[in-house]
Amino acid sequence: MSPIALLSLMFVPAASAVAVAAAPAKLARHIALVGTLFAIVVGLVALGDYDWSRPGAMQASGGFEWLPELGLRLSVGIDSIALLLIGLTLLLGPICVVASRTAITERVKTYYAWLLVLQAAMTGVFAARDLVLFYICFEFTLIPMFILISLYGSTNRKHAATKFFLYTFTGSIIALAGLLYVVWFNATKLLPTAFAGAGTWTLDIGVLTHAGASMSLSEQSWVLAAMMLGFGVKVPLFPVHTWLPLAHTEAPTAGSVILAGVLLKLGTYGIYRFVLPMTPAALVEHAHLIAVLAIIGIIYAGLICWVQRDVKKLVAYSSVSHLGFCVLGLVAVNGPGLSGSVLYMINHGLSTGALFLLIGMVYERYHTRDMDELGGLASKMPIWSTFMVFFVMASVGLPGLNGFVSEFLCLLGAFQSPSGLGREGLGATPGTLGPWFAGFAGTGMIVAAIYLLYMTGRVVFGQLKEPRGHHAGPLPTDLTVREIAVLSPIAVLCVLLGLYPKPVLDVVAEPVAAQAQWVWDHQPGATPAHAESHGVAAPNDEPPGEGE
Amino acid sequence: MTGLTPVILASTGSPAATHQGAWWMALIPFLPLLSCVLCGLVACVRPIRSTKLPAWITVVSLGVSFALMLATYGQQREGWASGASVTTAWEWIHLSWGHEPGQTLIANFGFYMDGLSGLWMLFVTGLGTLIALYASEYMAHDKGLGYCRFFAAFSLFVFSMACLVMGDNLILLYLGWEGVGLCSYLLIGYFYKKPSAVAAAKKAFIMNRIGDLGLALGVMLTFFHFGTVQYAELFPLVQPHIDSLKAGRVEDIPLLVQAIPVLLMIGAFGKSAQLPLYVWLPDAMEGPTPVSALIHAATMVTAGVYLIARTMPLFLVSEWALPVVAWVGALTALLAATIGMAQFDIKRIMAYSTVSQLGYMFAGLAFLSSTGAAFHVFTHAFFKATLFLCCGAVMHGFAGQLDLRRLSGVMFMRGWLIVGVAMLVGCLNLSGFPFTAGFFSKDMILAEAFVTPGYQLLGWILILTAGLTAYYTFRVFFRVFVGPRLFEPGDEVHADDDHGHADHAHDGHAPAGDGHSAEPPTPQPHDADHSFHPHPPGWAINTVLALLAVLSLAAAGAYFIEQDRHGWVGSMVHDSTAAQVSIGEGEHAVHAAAFRHDLTHEEHAHATLLGMNPHDVMYFVSAIVGVIGILIAAALHGPKGIGGLMIGSRTEAARSRADELLPRLGPIPRWAQHKWFVDEFYEFLIRRPLYVASCIFHLIDALLVDGLVNLFGWLPRRMGKSARRAQSGVLHQYAGQMAGGLVIVLFIVLLLTA
Repeated sequence: MSPIALLSLMFVPAASAVAVAAAPAKLARHIALVGTLFAIVVGLVALGDYDWSRPGAMQASGGFEWLPELGLRLSVGIDSIALLLIGLTLLLGPICVVASRTAITERVKTYYAWLLVLQAAMTGVFAARDLVLFYICFEFTLIPMFILISLYGSTNRKHAATKFFLYTFTGSIIALAGLLYVVWFNATKLLPTAFAGAGTWTLDIGVLTHAGASMSLSEQSWVLAAMMLGFGVKVPLFPVHTWLPLAHTEAPTAGSVILAGVLLKLGTYGIYRFVLPMTPAALVEHAHLIAVLAIIGIIYAGLICWVQRDVKKLVAYSSVSHLGFCVLGLVAVNGPGLSGSVLYMINHGLSTGALFLLIGMVYERYHTRDMDELGGLASKMPIWSTFMVFFVMASVGLPGLNGFVSEFLCLLGAFQSPSGLGREGLGATPGTLGPWFAGFAGTGMIVAAIYLLYMTGRVVFGQLKEPRGHHAGPLPTDLTVREIAVLSPIAVLCVLLGLYPKPVLDVVAEPVAAQAQWVWDHQPGATPAHAESHGVAAPNDEPPGEGE
Repeated sequence: MTGLTPVILASTGSPAATHQGAWWMALIPFLPLLSCVLCGLVACVRPIRSTKLPAWITVVSLGVSFALMLATYGQQREGWASGASVTTAWEWIHLSWGHEPGQTLIANFGFYMDGLSGLWMLFVTGLGTLIALYASEYMAHDKGLGYCRFFAAFSLFVFSMACLVMGDNLILLYLGWEGVGLCSYLLIGYFYKKPSAVAAAKKAFIMNRIGDLGLALGVMLTFFHFGTVQYAELFPLVQPHIDSLKAGRVEDIPLLVQAIPVLLMIGAFGKSAQLPLYVWLPDAMEGPTPVSALIHAATMVTAGVYLIARTMPLFLVSEWALPVVAWVGALTALLAATIGMAQFDIKRIMAYSTVSQLGYMFAGLAFLSSTGAAFHVFTHAFFKATLFLCCGAVMHGFAGQLDLRRLSGVMFMRGWLIVGVAMLVGCLNLSGFPFTAGFFSKDMILAEAFVTPGYQLLGWILILTAGLTAYYTFRVFFRVFVGPRLFEPGDEVHADDDHGHADHAHDGHAPAGDGHSAEPPTPQPHDADHSFHPHPPGWAINTVLALLAVLSLAAAGAYFIEQDRHGWVGSMVHDSTAAQVSIGEGEHAVHAAAFRHDLTHEEHAHATLLGMNPHDVMYFVSAIVGVIGILIAAALHGPKGIGGLMIGSRTEAARSRADELLPRLGPIPRWAQHKWFVDEFYEFLIRRPLYVASCIFHLIDALLVDGLVNLFGWLPRRMGKSARRAQSGVLHQYAGQMAGGLVIVLFIVLLLTA
């Protein structure tokens, strides 16, 4: 796999965006569809020479000098984690385009062009191997999203878009400050003999990872705080989550799908890629605090879901609750927790994305999402209802569907990583959390059942209730073939990932084990031998995911 | 960092050794899954959608599954004595993060077949086939999408149940566990236009989820301690703890291990409707009756019993687990029986009796009589399915009428004889009438209560409950099936419909079913209502009822086969992980809790009931108690003449001698009828506070959390606004500001230099 392939994954949607802008409005959605599908084809072709035997290594890495005087390079490279997330981004591309066909009828060119730009930016975040490209893409996702919300959203869209922009922008500026501290630290505080790249002004993520891990505990803690603030807003972690329900409610359907499906994952991906390896000691020191916030988010946001009247807001809050599991798995820093968390990023993108699509379909027909006005749709829209119940169950975490495996692994990761207990059993790992964390987070399983079934019970089941003065629009009562085609691939993936997650788990296992190993090897006072005694893996001097 | 290969723990060569099973064993669960998919496809094809095709697909695939199960039994029965057979379909969850034992999580779609799973699968697939056949007629009024939906969920249920029972690891068991919960949810909410059905479905799922959390944490703790969730590896690892137990060193067993069964049993209490999580099961009767029969009586609710029996070695080594199970089981049995005595809806009476009988099974497990529990599960599956299907036939025929005050003499109406006889058989079994299957299985549990030290009190509670059971069972029989032929059709009657049951909301219960204080309704003589004729069951229902009645009697035969090993069921259970641990030849089983009572083994062996061997005397005690219960029911509710065994006095449906006694008992009957207000208790102590908390959280989120954010946005703007006034463009104002600034600067300089 060559870096050219990766760059073309960004280039194809970007070029399509230009084409959309240049072509007549009538062709916009066709060009967008072709562009997103072509991106998938490029991705599949590039996948042909991906080396599956080394999922932990950064493959397709490379780049070009940009401003060599300043040490700026644009370099890319992916390990299996980034690969999966890019796959999710590519998959959601055509789905969003097709799903928007009837919903977006004005200013179509602007809409599809920005949708494509957004896809290019998101791909860039996952592919980036230096800080410049990462940060540019990370911030550049804001502009298309801002435009999608503020031009195509519902009534309160301006406010929502502004809040979304300012909130997440503020957060990421702070994260940037933290990252720049690591750059400065690497250039000025480290001797060139420490490791390759030390003592130079570089923005290479691999080098910075090394540098970050060599900082003192207090330095790491400050960098951790800065990064967690930035990525935590993005995730969103309690208490910096309030932009999300607003943005979701106001965004157009495709915007919500991308927001829930990929944009939130930028936060968890950031935690995985930067926070864990760059501040290992501080993370282990403060993991329980982050976990407490995650658990509060799980329960608190779940209960708030229960009292919502707007279906979309309910699902939006459920994202806050669900992502809590994801963060919990990350800060457990062990094999099951990290694998579960990575899987959760994919699974949440699928099932919550599908829920937003379904809500959008109803909204197009009834122009309301208020559960007081809408109900009992099963008797009128059986196909829609079947999909709804299916994705609700995927979201609840029913075993056999995708959500379960990741949720279970996240909880298991938290459960078996007790910090104080030492090794009390065969399955225990060194860790930061413990059974109590898993127990409290596990109540989120019950809460999720409460609010999602409450919603299903009102919207899908019960006596048919339609908004007053409703008359049939151009769309048929139940789903069209186009809409079924939008939902089916996601449904198939949900079943596949639920019943046969092994391929994904296999490719995730190695980088994740290396990541956990890296963190435990870089604890103050930890020697590789100590880690060996915990049997995590062989000692490793390379930062996780280094080298071609 | 490469080469993280899975590490499989070497089996320690204990009795839990496994051998490779036949590949087609995997078809037993997957045929029902195929049937589910096919039913879904039928729903998509318009021309065949409104035929009975989904029913036949289901019946055939379940039938083939049953045949395969019989073949498995025939082929492998001998082999189970030396260990289970395992067939792995594919690798499901397989995650490895190191080389050492305990660093690989393996949970495959692997199917584990030993005596226990074999027993369960035989009646799950067998009863499933029969009940699917019954449902093909019962649900016929709903042909179309609903029919497809029903049979798809029905098949999916059998698949999930098979995964639960046959899974070779705790996580696959968990998949089945939640899967049956989903199907239960879908089927209780089958009549989705009825708010009560939707609410009941939701309640069932959420109540079960509470238990599921316990189970999930139990599975995690198992992995945490033992580093595996696969039975084949897990049980050998428990062996050292069992050895400590045998040697009497309970203190050597780590507390963590002792905590595992406590978590697992929370799951069991949820699924099997035990205290305090039982309240969903009576409400689950909102579902169609075949569902109540299969899922909420015969199979799914026994999953908890299966779980405890399967993980018996873990329960044995815990000091607290089994005593808790015993008390919960016995108290649930008593409580549910008292509620059942005061209900009027016959289907709900049966639901409470299910809860009560499940209590017996749990108690049986705790008395270290896995055999008794499994035997009771087995017999109960048949006779309770019979009872439910009879109630369903009545409901089907009388337009949804279920109130026992509005029906009488059903057995003597034309075309209802088979239903009546089957009902009688079921009632006799449930009340433990001598020489019925229920009699033998219940006795096995009761006798064990007096053998196991510390449980005598529970034994007496269960005997009392047996009497109550006989009473409320025959209360239904005497009021509904014998006596003067009177009825009042239910609320689903349609004058223009021949069958009188075209409505979707078919399973509604009687409108006046609640409110005991209201005057009992007076049923009309059946010729008074010309527009309605009861609709006797057709061939499918009759065949199934007759077969089930015969089977529930024949189940008693299992007691006499292989009697040296406590019957056929006993021999099956013996060849599984549920086999109790014996200290040695001729001695009694032990568990950790027994050591708490400081009882010696001699005391075990010499436990007595009324000075005699409990196993012998129990036949007489329980027979007498059962007959007394039936006689009281006859006296209070029986009709005049032979139908009431000469002691009854009832001449109409609504009133009975019991009504005269009720006022003397004060408020107790009313409380019992209101289910001891447990639902209200939960509503006011848990649901409402939680909802209020949610509303408060919602406010906090909008005002405080988001308010702070808005404050951050507002402050700079506010500051900017106030600073804006300074930029007025008026020259003399600028001059003044400059002067003021200079003064301040000079002042500061002065202060610093001084």
